[in-house]
Formats: sequence, C-alpha cells, structure tokens
Amino acid sequence: MIDFALPTFSLAGPEIAMLIMAGIILLVDVMLPERLRIVTYLLVQATLVIAFLLAIPQYRHHSEVLVTFNGHYVVDRLAILLKLFIYVMSFASFVYARQYIEERKMLRGEYYILGLFCVMGMSVMASAYSLLTIYLGLELLSLPLYAMVASYKDSQQAIEAAMKYFIMGALASGLLLYGISILYGLTGSISIPGIAQAIHTAPSSTVMLALIFIMAALIFKFGAVPFHMWVPDVYQGAPTTVTLFIASAPKIAAFGITMRILVQGMPSLHIAWEQILIVIAVLSMFMGNLLAIVQANIKRMLAYSSIAHIGYTLLGIIAGPNSQHGYSAALFYISTYVLVAVGAFGIISLLSRSGLELDKLEDYRGLNARSPWLAFMMLLLMFSMAGVPPTVGFFAKLGLLVSLVEAHLVWLAVAALIFALIGAYYYLRVVMLMYFEEPTEAYARTPVVLSPDMMIAVTINGIAVLALGILPSTLIELCRIVI
Amino acid sequence: MFSHLPILSILIWLPLLGAVLVLMTGNDKQANWARTIAVLVAVLSLLLCIPLCLGFDANSYAMQYREDYLWIDSYKIHYSLGIDGISLVMIVLTNFTGLLVVLAGIEATKIRVAQYMATFLTMQAMIVGVFASMDAILFYVFWEGMLIPMYLNIGMWGSANREYASIKFFLYTFLGSLLMLVALVYLAQRSGSFEIQSFYHLPLNLEEQKLLFFAFLLSFAVKVPMWPVHTWLPDAHTEAPAGGSVVLAALMLKLGVYGFLRFNMPILPVACQELAWVMIILSLIAIVYIGLIAIVQTDMKKLIAYSSISHMGIATLGCFMAYDIVKDSQNLQSAYMSLEGAVVQMVSHAFGSGAMFLGVGWLADRYYNHSRLIKSYGGVANTMPVFAAFFMLFALSNVGLPGTAGFVGEFMVIMSAMRTHFWVAMVAATTLILGASYTLWMYKRVFFGEVTNDQVASFKDLNWIELSNYLLLGIGVLWLGLYPEPVIRVLQVTLGHLLVQSMPFGVAMNLPVEFSYFA
Amino acid sequence: MNMFSLDLTTSIYVMILLPLLGAIVAGILGKVIGRTATHRLVIAFIALSFLLSCKLVYEMIFQNHPRLVTTAYTWAHAGLVQIDVSFLLDKLSAVMCCVVTFVSLMVYIYTIGYMADDPGYQRFFSYISLFTFSMLVLVLADNFLLLFFGWEGVGLVSYLLIGFWFKREPATFGSLKAFLANRVGDFGFLLGIALVLTDFGTLQYQEVFSQVPKLAHSIWIFPGGMTISAITLICLLLFVGAMGKSAQVPLHVWLPESMEGPTPISALIHAATMVTAGIYMVTRMSPLFEYSPAALSVILVIGATTCFFMGLLAVFQFDIKRVIAYSTLSQLGYMAVALGVSAYDAAIFHLVTHAFFKALLFLAAGSVIIALHHEQDMRKMGGLARYLPVTYLTFLIGSFALAAIPPFAGFYSKDVIIEATRLSTVPGASYAYCCVQAGAFVTALYTFRALFLTFHTRSRVDAALAGKVHESPWVVLLPLLALAVLSVVAGAILIDPLLFSHPRLLGDSVFIIPAHDMVAQLGFHYHGTLDMAREALTGLTFWMVIAGIITAWLFNARFPQWAEMLKKKLSWAYAVMINKYGFDAFNQVVLVEGTRETGNLLYTISDVKVIDGMCVNGSGEAVRSFARFARRMQTGYLYHYTLVMVLGLMAFLIWYVR
Repeated sequence: MIDFALPTFSLAGPEIAMLIMAGIILLVDVMLPERLRIVTYLLVQATLVIAFLLAIPQYRHHSEVLVTFNGHYVVDRLAILLKLFIYVMSFASFVYARQYIEERKMLRGEYYILGLFCVMGMSVMASAYSLLTIYLGLELLSLPLYAMVASYKDSQQAIEAAMKYFIMGALASGLLLYGISILYGLTGSISIPGIAQAIHTAPSSTVMLALIFIMAALIFKFGAVPFHMWVPDVYQGAPTTVTLFIASAPKIAAFGITMRILVQGMPSLHIAWEQILIVIAVLSMFMGNLLAIVQANIKRMLAYSSIAHIGYTLLGIIAGPNSQHGYSAALFYISTYVLVAVGAFGIISLLSRSGLELDKLEDYRGLNARSPWLAFMMLLLMFSMAGVPPTVGFFAKLGLLVSLVEAHLVWLAVAALIFALIGAYYYLRVVMLMYFEEPTEAYARTPVVLSPDMMIAVTINGIAVLALGILPSTLIELCRIVI
Repeated sequence: MFSHLPILSILIWLPLLGAVLVLMTGNDKQANWARTIAVLVAVLSLLLCIPLCLGFDANSYAMQYREDYLWIDSYKIHYSLGIDGISLVMIVLTNFTGLLVVLAGIEATKIRVAQYMATFLTMQAMIVGVFASMDAILFYVFWEGMLIPMYLNIGMWGSANREYASIKFFLYTFLGSLLMLVALVYLAQRSGSFEIQSFYHLPLNLEEQKLLFFAFLLSFAVKVPMWPVHTWLPDAHTEAPAGGSVVLAALMLKLGVYGFLRFNMPILPVACQELAWVMIILSLIAIVYIGLIAIVQTDMKKLIAYSSISHMGIATLGCFMAYDIVKDSQNLQSAYMSLEGAVVQMVSHAFGSGAMFLGVGWLADRYYNHSRLIKSYGGVANTMPVFAAFFMLFALSNVGLPGTAGFVGEFMVIMSAMRTHFWVAMVAATTLILGASYTLWMYKRVFFGEVTNDQVASFKDLNWIELSNYLLLGIGVLWLGLYPEPVIRVLQVTLGHLLVQSMPFGVAMNLPVEFSYFA
Repeated sequence: MNMFSLDLTTSIYVMILLPLLGAIVAGILGKVIGRTATHRLVIAFIALSFLLSCKLVYEMIFQNHPRLVTTAYTWAHAGLVQIDVSFLLDKLSAVMCCVVTFVSLMVYIYTIGYMADDPGYQRFFSYISLFTFSMLVLVLADNFLLLFFGWEGVGLVSYLLIGFWFKREPATFGSLKAFLANRVGDFGFLLGIALVLTDFGTLQYQEVFSQVPKLAHSIWIFPGGMTISAITLICLLLFVGAMGKSAQVPLHVWLPESMEGPTPISALIHAATMVTAGIYMVTRMSPLFEYSPAALSVILVIGATTCFFMGLLAVFQFDIKRVIAYSTLSQLGYMAVALGVSAYDAAIFHLVTHAFFKALLFLAAGSVIIALHHEQDMRKMGGLARYLPVTYLTFLIGSFALAAIPPFAGFYSKDVIIEATRLSTVPGASYAYCCVQAGAFVTALYTFRALFLTFHTRSRVDAALAGKVHESPWVVLLPLLALAVLSVVAGAILIDPLLFSHPRLLGDSVFIIPAHDMVAQLGFHYHGTLDMAREALTGLTFWMVIAGIITAWLFNARFPQWAEMLKKKLSWAYAVMINKYGFDAFNQVVLVEGTRETGNLLYTISDVKVIDGMCVNGSGEAVRSFARFARRMQTGYLYHYTLVMVLGLMAFLIWYVR
C-alpha cells in the first residue's frame, strides 16, 4: 500500500520561500510603472537574502543528513553550503547587473525574475537526492537561462548565442534523460543511495553506458572539453551580466550534482569515472588555456579560461577517492573561482557603457591611468586566476596539488602546473595592458564613473580575493567539513 | 629589550603597511608625501635591524626569533618565522638595499611615484619574508608574491622593450617555482608537515632525491641565474628602472643561492653529492662563457647584468664544491671556506653590482634620451669627478680587487676550488682576467678620454641624495673588503651546522671526531 | 715628537699608516687645503716614515733584533684556517722598507717641481702616497693574503698613475694593458697561493716554510697521469705572478707602455720599487724555491732571456724614457738570473743599487724633459750638456752605474751576478751566462747611446725652444744629487755586509741550500772592494762594457751614417727590433681580438639565437601558433558543435562500452 506521510516542508524552506516570492514579484512587476522598476530588483535581492537567512539556521541545526519528499530531497551540510554560495553569488551578479541592464533597456523586471527562477533551480539541484530531482532542478535552471541570454533583443550576437545554447542544452538534457532511464531500468531505483548499492552489486557495461551519458550531460553543464563548444560563443554573445550569471552560480550547482551522482551515486565505479574525468580535465586545461591565448575579446578569453578552470576543478574530484582533501579542494576551487569570475565579468560590465560593449582586450589599455582602483581590483582577480599568491587562486591550486600528490598522481599535478604557466601568459597580458600602456585618446578623455553601490561591490569582491588569499583557513575548513 | 617584539613580523608587515599608506597618497600631486613615507618606512626597518643583530646569538645554529602560529590547519600550514646566520645576513642586506632604492627613487621617478615606492616596499617585505619563513608554503607565498611588484616595476617604469622583458621575467621564474611547489608538496606529504626543518633527512631514495633535486634546481637556477636559464636576466636588468635593477641584482639573484642552501643541500644530500659535478660545471660555464659575453656588450646595463651572472657563478660554485671537498678530504673543516665564500660573494655582489646599476641609472637620467649605450658616453670623469671616483671603487670591487668586497668571496671560493681540482680552480680563477677586462674596459670607454659630446659636457656631478647613496655603498664595500670577519662570525656556526646536515650519512659518519661548530 | 722612543710594533704601524693618511688627506681634502699644504703634508708624512724605516733597519741590522711578527686583526677564518692581517719585520723587509721610503721621498720632492703646473696635482700626490702604502704592506706582509693585497694594491696604483692623464688615449690604453698583463700574472699567483693553502693548510709564511722539507717530495697528479712535484708547481705559479709584476718575458709588454705616465712614477713605480716586487717575493719565498731546482732553472732561463733580448730593444728606441724602460726590463732580467742561481742576496743587492741609479736616470731624463717642455724624442735633443750641467753630471753618473763601470754601484751588484752565473750548475746556466755577458755589452751600448744623443752631438732642439733651455729648479736637482751620490757609493758600501760577511746582512730572511750557494763560493776569492774593482779590469765583462761604450760612440756620435748603413743592410733584423719581436702584435691580434670574437660568437649564436631565440621565444611561439591552428575548430556553426559533442560521446562509449 502507499504511504501518504507528508514531507517535512520546513526543510525546503529556502526554495519554497523563493517560489512564493517569485509569484508575488511577478504580480508586482506587472503593476509597477516603468520608473519604479527598481522595486523588482530590490524585491528579488530581498528574496535571496531571505533564502540565505533561512538556509543559515539549517546549517547550524542539521549537521546530520535529512532526507524527505520520499527520498528525493536531501538536506545535508554540502547542500546547505552550496546553497549559501549560490545565493551569495547570485546576489552579487544581480548587483552587477542593475546598472548594465538599465542602460540597455533590456526587459527589466523579467530579467531578475528569470534569474530568480534559475536560483531556485540551482538550489533544488543542490539538495536533489534523486535523478529526477536533479533533472528537475537542471531544467528549472536552464530554461530561464536561455531566455536571459536572449534577453538583449537588440543584439544579434545574443540571439544567436541563445539559440546555440538552447539547442545544445536540449541535446545535453536528452543525454541525461537517456542515461537516467538506462540506470533506472538497470537498478530499478532513481534515488542516489538506491543506485549506489544497486550498482555495487552489478557493475556492467550497460552501467558504463548510463554513466557516460550522464557524465556527458554533467560535463556539458560544466562546459568542459569536449562538450565546451557552446561556452565561448555564449559567453561572448550573451549580455555581459548574463555571462557573469552563467559563469557563476550554475558552476557550483553543477559541482553539487556531480558530487551526488558520481561520488555518492556511483562510488563503486570511481575507477571508471576517474579515468574519464582525467581525460576531460587534461583536455580542458590544455585547450582552455591554449585557446585563451589567442583571443582578442576578453569575454571570450575568460570563457576559455573558465573551461580551463573547470578542468582544474575536476582534478579535485579525480583525486577525491584516494585522498582526504580531494573533494573539498575541488569545492574550494570552484567556489573561489566563481568569486573571481564574478568579479572579472563584473568589472567588464561596469566598464561597458550603454551603446558600446568594452569587451575587447584593447579597451583595457591604460586602465590604471583612468581608474587605478578598478585596475588594481582587476589585477588581483587576474593574478588570482593565474594562481599567484597571495591571492586566493593560489590556495585553490595548492589544495588540488596536495590532493593529487596524496592520490599519487604527481604527473597530473605537474601537467596541471605546466598548463597554469601557459595560462599565466594571457592573464599577465591583461595586467600588461592595464598598467604598462597609456590609454588611447578616446578613453583618456572619458573618465570611469561608477555608482557607489557598484564601487562597493567591486571593492568587496576584489578585497575578498586578497583576504581569502591571506587567511583562507576558514573557507578551506568549511569546504572540508561539508564533505 | 627588543626580545619580546615579534621583530621579524614587524620587518615583514611594516613595509607592507607603508606600501598601503603610500598608495593612499594617491596621484602625483602628493608625490612628496609618498616619498617621505617611503623613506621613513625604509629607514625605520633598517633601524630595526640593529636590535635584530644585537639580539642574535651567533654561537647557536638554532633558528632564532621564532614565531609560529597555525595558519591553514587543514593542510598543517604554519605562519612560522625564524632566522639563522645566513638569513640574518641576507635580511640586513635586504633592508639596506631597500633603503638605497627608495632613496634613489626619490629623484629617479616623476610619474606614479606612489605606486613606484609601493612596489619597492612590497618587494622588500616579500624578500624579508622569504629569508625569514620556516614553513615551505609561507616561503613559497613570499617567493611568488615578490614577482607581482617586480613585474609591475619593470613593466611600468622600464624602458622601451619593457613589456617583453617583464613577461619574460615573470614566466621564466614562474615556470621554475611551479615545479618547486610540486616538490614542496611532495616532501610535505612524505614528512607530514610543511615545516622546512621537517624535510631534512627524510628517508628518500636516490630516484626521488634526483627528481626533487631537479625540481628545485630549475626554480633556483632560474633565479640565480645559472647557464643556460639565464637569458631572462639581461633583458629584465636592462629594461628595468635603476631601482628595479638594483633589487634584481642585489636581492633576487641571492634568493636562488639561498634556496640551494636551504633546500637542495640539506634535504637532498645524496642527490647533491651525486650531481655536484653538474653544478660545478654549470657554474664554471657561467663564469667563463658569461664573462666572455660580458666583454662584448655595448649596453652598460647588459654588461653589468652579464657580469652579475658570472659573479653568481662563483657563489653556486662555492655551494656545491663543498661536496667534492668533503668527499676528497673526509673532513668538514676544509669545506667551510667554500660555503663562506659563496655567502660572502652574495653580499659583496649585492654591493658592487647594485652600486654600478645605480650609477648607470644616474648617467642615463642625465642623458637626454636615457641612452645606456657605452658609445654615447666618454670622458665622463671630466665632468663628474666625484662620481667617477666612486664608480671606480665599485668597478674595482666588481673586478675583485683585494680590500674591496668583491675580493673576499672570489678569493675564498678559488682557494677552496683548488681542493676539488686544479682545473676547477684554474677555470674559476679566469674571472680575475675576464672581470678586469669587461669592467675596466667599460670604465675606460665611459669615463676616460676627452669629453665626447655636449651631452656629457653638460652633466652635473652627484647631488646629495646620490652622494649619500654612494657613501653608504662605499662604506659597505670597503668594510666588507677589509674586515669581513664580523660577517663570517655570524655565518660560521650556521654554516657548520648546514654542512653537517648537507652531507650524506655515509660521509657524515667518518668525520673526524674533533669536529666542532666553533672551529 | 721623539719617534725613536716608539717601540718597534708601533713604529711599524705608524710607518705603514702615515702614507695612507697622506693619501686620504690629499685625495679628499686636497682641493680644500690647496697645493702647497698638500705636498708639505704628504712629504712630511713620507719623511717621517722614512726615518722610522731607518730606525727599523738600525734595530734589525745593527742591534740584530730577532724577526718580529705583529698581528693587527683577524681578517677572516674558515674551518681551521685563520687569516690574519699581520706584519713580518725582519732584516729583508727592513731593508726594503728603507729603500722604498727613501726613493719615495726623493720622488715626492722631485714631483713638486715636475708636476708644478698640472691640474691634477693633489690627485697625483694622493696616488703616489697610496702607492707607498701598498708597497710597504707588500713588503711587510706576513702571509700570502696580505702579500696579495699589497701586490694588487701597487698594481692598482700603477694602473691609476699610468692613466693619470686620462684624457690621452695612449695613457688610458697603456694603463688598461698594464692592469690586464698584471692580472694574467696574478691569475697564476692566486692559483699558487691556493695551492699553498691546499698543500700546507695555512697562508702564514713561517708555518708554510717550516713544512716545506716534509712536502718536498709530494707529487701533484693531473688527470692523465701527468705528475709534477707540488713544490715546483707552486713555485712556477708564484713566479708567473712575479713575471707579471717584474715584467719578465712574455708578460713584459706593459712596462714600455707604462711610460705614458708622468716621469716621477716611472722612476718610483716602474723602475725602483714596484717592478722589483717580483724579485722581492721570490727572495722572500726562497725556502720554497730552494726545493725546486726545476723552477729555479725556469726562472734563470726566463730572466736571462729578458736580460739580453729586452736590452737589445733599448738600442732601437728614440723615446728617452722608453730606452730607460727597456733597460729596466733588462736589469730585472739580471735580478731574475740571480734568483735562478740562488744568489738571492745578490738579487736584492742589485735591486737596491738599481733602485738608486735607475731612479736617478729617470729623474734626470725627467729633468731634461721639463727643460724641453715635455719633449721625449732623443732625435729632438742633443748637445744639452751645456745647458743642463747638473742634470748631465747626474745622468752621466747614472749611466756609469748602469753600465757597470767600476767602482760605481752597478758594477758590484752586476758583476757578482755574472760571476755567480758563471759558477752555477743549474740547467740553463751556460745559456744564461752568455746572455748576461752579452747583456753587459748591450747595456753599455744603449745607455751611452742615450747619453750621447741627449747631451753630446749637435743640438737638434727645435728652434722655438733653443736658448730657452735652462736647468731645472732645486726641488728637481736635490733628489738627483742625493741619488747620484748613492749611485756612486752604494755598491762599495753594501757589497761587504750584504754578500761576503758572516752572517750576511739579510741573515735568516733568505734560505739557501748550501750546495746552491754560489755567492759563498765567490766569497773564497773575494778580497775587498778595491781589489774587486781592480780585478774587474782584467775580466771579460769590463771589456764588453768598454766595447759597448765605444760602439755607442762610433755609431751615434762619431759616424751616425754607419747606423743608417747597417739599417739598410739588415733591414729585416731592424724590422724585428722595431716591432719588438712582435709581442704586441700577437697580443693585440690573437689575445684581444680573439677574445672579443669568441665573446661575440657566444653572444650572437649561442645566447641570442639558440637559447633565447629557439628555446625560450621558440617554445612560446610554438604554443601560440598551435593555438592559432586549434581555434579553427571553433567555427561558430551549430552543427559543428553538436558534431563535436556527439563525437566526444562516441569516443567515450567506444572506449568504455565494448
């Protein structure tokens, strides 16, 4: 007979809150006159704050794993921490977005609401405990995202990018579904723990089939080689703030589901997925860094660099099974990378003024002369991406290194660092342009004007990169205990 | 009275604080504020070295002024500082040089003064950090951290070809240090802690030792620099502003040798013993090959840069000869001199080349297009007699004339080279001839003869800042040349301990019993 | 102050430091306190230290005070090796100090007149004062380090002084050449010191010498089985240093160039004192050299060669200073020969007398040069005896001394050396004997050629100067006279105590294995100075000298056309002589150019092309070009993208799912 026990809704507090708010905001937004659009923005941010505040106590109280909604939904420290990261990063990306989209008259209110739905999707992904929930969250994230990419209707590029993103995204979802169905057929279960022990009994080539399909989808979400083709075009084509959004929170969510599926769902197959991930990681680090060198457009350059960084993140997961730091290192890496990426794209969006997108590398020529502070922040971010101490990027790489060495994958560590060297080149080039050259006539005359909230945002972002570089201990510790 | 102060931390963080303050002064309207603060900070930190030296116990090889806090607990990384004789000498040198470059910077730069000073203060802090840190990761953080300000310094205030030079500098050194990082992590994983001391005498088999050796070697050899990974240096030196060149020559190059002394030798004794001959040959190549190249340089800074490489060859030679000496004589005593020579050479080279780089910088500043080419000058001695006199002193130190700093290291190393092999000593000794040729030939062409052009004719002699700089350096050069004993006294015990640690057990076993640290 | 109340140690330090003080004051305050004050101060100081040196000689020789070692401070120590700054005072160093300070004093006084109108007056005094300081350190050193300090110190000052007129290209060129040639010598010298340290484990003279007999038979083995006695290797290397400093073939090339410097320093540094440092060093090291016959005969041969062939070149020079310079080379050759035959005392004896008469000759020549307003070419002189009586007289005395006419100083010292060589049995002694005999002839020839061309013959002084030529001021003449007196008497006074008394004046400062002691053998048939002078009249040497003088007279004064004729007949020989056997050409072409070319090749090919071009930039370029190629994949076509995705998927499937 069927068990009608009600799920414990309180556990899903953040998501539910967001859902309700989303509804309200939709209504409000319709009523609002054009000039009061700001209200929508504030409401959305408030929602994120609420969600954040709801998640905090959960973290404090539920140190143990709680499963509900018939085993489809889990609340454990990993989930909560991921959510916290997601909310913070989304908050930041909306802050950066405000000025940009106002200037561009992109569909104002909807932008944030779509974004809010994305966030909801992500936080569902974060605590998804069955393949179904995972798929649900994934789609809930993806669909609004496609719309957001397309939201800048005046831009041909944006539309094209949205198109590509949508089609390939659909393909990826298809692969995922296919993999899920195989797995279900094989194990008769779609819940992570169920699959885990089921596979434990019967690892076969069919399982591998499922594994590969599912991984393909995950890799696509991450945007790693060979499923990275969409990344450059979308990053470049999409409005900068959307790029910023895509580059930030979704990566964390993707990391979440990867942990669920591979690590918790298929621990017994780790030999297999390790090998696959190694190939993917190496390819991503290589191609990403290599192709970034020859880009003239900074958004596209950062797109490739993000591919490379995903490669690094995967290293952590690869080392995970045989080292005590692997997963936490990966989590630390991805979260700090997102912090840095948000900052970098944020600065790009701030510099772009209505009408012209300042997304060529050339546009950064002599930034130090125009706005020393902004240049300094960018410098910090770039060196962090290159992994040079005393920025946080270094400790991210260090963690990976330690875990790789623990896992006796020294050769992989060395390879990773060689690629990092190649990577350093193009990050340095940005610094070079900003600091070593004088601004071109056109820009020299136009000073950089920032609204205070933007300034604060950038400052917090940049300083955080430095501060976490000097005192990373707490964050590392946090990443360690949640896994 | 100062014993209770965390003096090392102060020496690291004070300049950083200073850098922040300087940056706060903002644009060039407040340039003078920036200058004042920078100078004050530099002077203050140099003064702090006095209690540092007074409180230092030269009769103990233990790390002193220990500070130890847990920094990153999940990886067992500590913020742990401490110095022994070598570090002490280098730290004092660093602060001394720091003051020099800041003083020199007062006049040298007119644009973005604040940022200029900030880079120097930051570099000073980082370098002190490197010499003081006892935790591998802390060491690495400082080691890499100093690249950023140096990169900016070369790139922002350098001359025509600065962008190429700065990127080359950064990537070259970055490549090296990345491999070192892997090595450090590997060692930490073997020893269970990042404390450098805990790496000493780990039971590593020869294979591991050799691999690690090369990992470290690449990183340090690039810094020293040793042939054939030296080509970044001529560019960096040449393009960097005078102050930058000074820091490069006087401090950064030393980091390489310091690394050898701190990591390669005590951690990988067997590998060092095995591969000592490689290092000796590389050092000899540096001395002769680079010396020959220096002769034909037409750019003064390039010439001095190459001469630096050649002089550092002496230092590295001194480090690794120790193994052959001990192997031949089965007696640590006889290896002392070679190590002392190496360390003293580092200090003396800092004085000599630093001074020469400053001088060339001043010449270039006086020349309308900042030409560094030898042929643009000639007969400078007529218009700048005082400068010429001082420059002669430093040139002679570069030549290694007895009574100047440059002589001490060379003398000791060549003396002990004879213990390894006649030919080694002979090749090393060619530096007497080569050094004299390139240095004095340049001096002749730049300073002697009739005034060649109205540019030179219009030169003013040293102003008081430049003069004070040269007085400081001149005293240093003569003091170290005439009475090196105090410095050696500080090094003695530390080096003795280092020697014991750096020898493979096999060798260390059959040492004479009467061996004592207080030879 | 009554300096004779000072105890020995203090007086040593005072003697050494006074010149240094003088140098510092003159160098730094010179412009402030003005010319007169400067030279008064400096000369006062040097006079004081001369007096002190006399005191030392008195203590050491007449009071027979034992050797005295005093340590100032510890320079450095490494392991068991300790290197002190310590001074050794014994008979030898005392005598040397006295000579050095005396000649310095003379030259300082002379300088007042010679440099009177030179803008670099104070600088010059500072330099020469510094020179005296370094020379004293060199002489009084008690260990190899300090010796090397003084050694390089005098080299430095000589470099500075040769290039004193730094606006003149030849001067700066000559100075650089001098420094480098000396560096080549020091290269060997330093290796020698290193070898000493390695074999003896110390640098302190006595500790080294005391161990020599023990190590006499130790062998130094090179790879390839070639072996050499350690002592010999040490001695040879040390002597390389001496060759540099004392300008022995083939490292002599710098000395003629050094004549570009002002005349006073030619007298002081490049005749009387510095160039004899090598001789002094070998004498000081006699306990080492005595145990290496091989090294001794090398010294002998090189010395003999220098003695004759360099003397021969003097005959063909027209620059009066260069004539004397080559004669200096030749005389140094004599001293080296003396060392070769273990007649160290004789070497020192000749060193002392030579210091007097050669300084005299230079200063006299200088006085001529002033009189002719810095004209040095003898072809533009002649018949000056009339105008410069005092200078002429002194020059004449100098010439007699140099040409070894009895009973002038030069005669005694040189004759002893020649006789010792005759008796010696060291390999190469016979060759040396021929050389020194021929040398005697040549010496007389060039000396008197110079004398005739300058003072006799018809005046070739150019019209502008004619009549304006007049004798130099007293500050110039005073030193001339003083030195002239010594050039006459020094030999006769010194020969007895120095060579033929028991114990000899230098006593235990010099060590000679009895079997080698030629001077002792000479002693058997030595019966006083006059007797020696009388015997000389029947000896070969004397007639060689006379022949020399006559030849000089015939070819230069009487029948100059003969010289022209010979020049025609033996043009090839003449060419060889004019080109000084081609040493300079060789150095310039092979060594200098060769080095530069090598450097250029290494730089352009190896450094720029291979390492930087191919490896460094090459790798970067490779990465970049590959990237340019790889970006082509990013076509922007959706179907390409999906294709890649699918292919990737396929790849994994094929790889895993079989």
